[in-house]
Amino acid sequence: MHSSITNVRLAGLAVSTGSLTRDFMADGLALGLDRVILERTAQTIGLRERKVAAPGITALDLCEDASRRLLDAAGLDASSIDAVIFVTQTPDHSQPNNASLLHGRLGLATGAAAFDLSLGCSGWVYGLQQAALLCAHGGAARVLLCAGDTLSRLTHAKDRSTDPLFGDAGSAALIERTGLATAWHFELGADGAGANAIIVPQGGARMPHDSKPLTEIPDLDGNVRHAANLAMQGGEVFNFSLRQAPPAVAAVMRHAHYTVEATDGLVLHQANRFVITTVGRKCGFPAEKTPSDVVERYGNQSSASIPCALIHAFAEPLSARSLRLVLCGFGVGWSWGAVAAEFGPLVIAPTQPYPHSA
Amino acid sequence: MTSAEKLQALQHDVDFFVGATEHTPLATLPNWGSLAVLLVILHCETQHGLVISSADIHGCKTVGDLLKLLPERL
Repeated sequence: MHSSITNVRLAGLAVSTGSLTRDFMADGLALGLDRVILERTAQTIGLRERKVAAPGITALDLCEDASRRLLDAAGLDASSIDAVIFVTQTPDHSQPNNASLLHGRLGLATGAAAFDLSLGCSGWVYGLQQAALLCAHGGAARVLLCAGDTLSRLTHAKDRSTDPLFGDAGSAALIERTGLATAWHFELGADGAGANAIIVPQGGARMPHDSKPLTEIPDLDGNVRHAANLAMQGGEVFNFSLRQAPPAVAAVMRHAHYTVEATDGLVLHQANRFVITTVGRKCGFPAEKTPSDVVERYGNQSSASIPCALIHAFAEPLSARSLRLVLCGFGVGWSWGAVAAEFGPLVIAPTQPYPHSA
Repeated sequence: MTSAEKLQALQHDVDFFVGATEHTPLATLPNWGSLAVLLVILHCETQHGLVISSADIHGCKTVGDLLKLLPERL
């Protein structure tokens, strides 16, 4: 689905990460895995360390911290926000949604709308499109877009296809209505045939928590998980990413009349370096325009990975001027979203772990 | 492209296959596992324009079975 939305701007970005550092090599050696294989995997896939949330800290906490720091940096009062969108697959509760909880924590006006989007790695682009629509056509002057997850809590320590990958983070972005006529060009899509490729089977209404005991089952590669763990078919997800992300990127660039040469950067969902470099190459972008190192510091941060990569790779120029950027997220669902737009100048609060160190 | 040529190309991209023959069982390749499967998928996509699934690969018993999944022509 294509959409072009005008009269909007990205006004600010912030990301709060988990505060605990997990080291890929140390974790693997503690499990008794072979050092040579670990080193080879680390080098090929690009796994080094990741930041996970401390016990008791949720995506809501991380996004609240990012929101408060962003509002402070922008010199804005929470009462100026007309809507809050919360993208997450790890909400505090099945009811109420995280957006309503954040609405209460920040003290937003009762006239401000609040809703969640249940999406993962494509979610930031989906949320950006919804925020832009609210500003352009929905009566909002300023929207707070929060996106984050604590996926590290869903993996089994003995599942090497998921556990070493994920970090925890929460992001906040401000989207505002403006008089600018420059369009943001979006491409959103989904393929429900791949819904089982990334799934937590147990814990929802279909298979409630107490519906059956959590039995640990090994897979063909020797990974172990139970039904309430995140299960991911890595090969299928990789194929899906190669199949869907490059056409989505090409479509938004076509609508925006962008060339690779005239585009300042391609920011992909930071799944891992292997996926980013392969998809980026297939999109026709040189490595120097496709940031891929943020994931080696923070892990795969689900819907918070694109804003984190934007800050990591482009904070200085984005703070000062406008950049032509193409962003693309892809993952659970299967779903994907791409946007080509000029972003900046904007307010950026530096990425910080939460809770803040003393 | 002969099987020998396909194997040579595979060995060039995925060194898990160095020293293997068509008759080598995949399970006996040193360090055969999810990383190797991912690299085989990438090799198929980049060298052959072929999308194969990890289920396809897990369905192969020998290196020869895997080579049969690849097209004769590049």
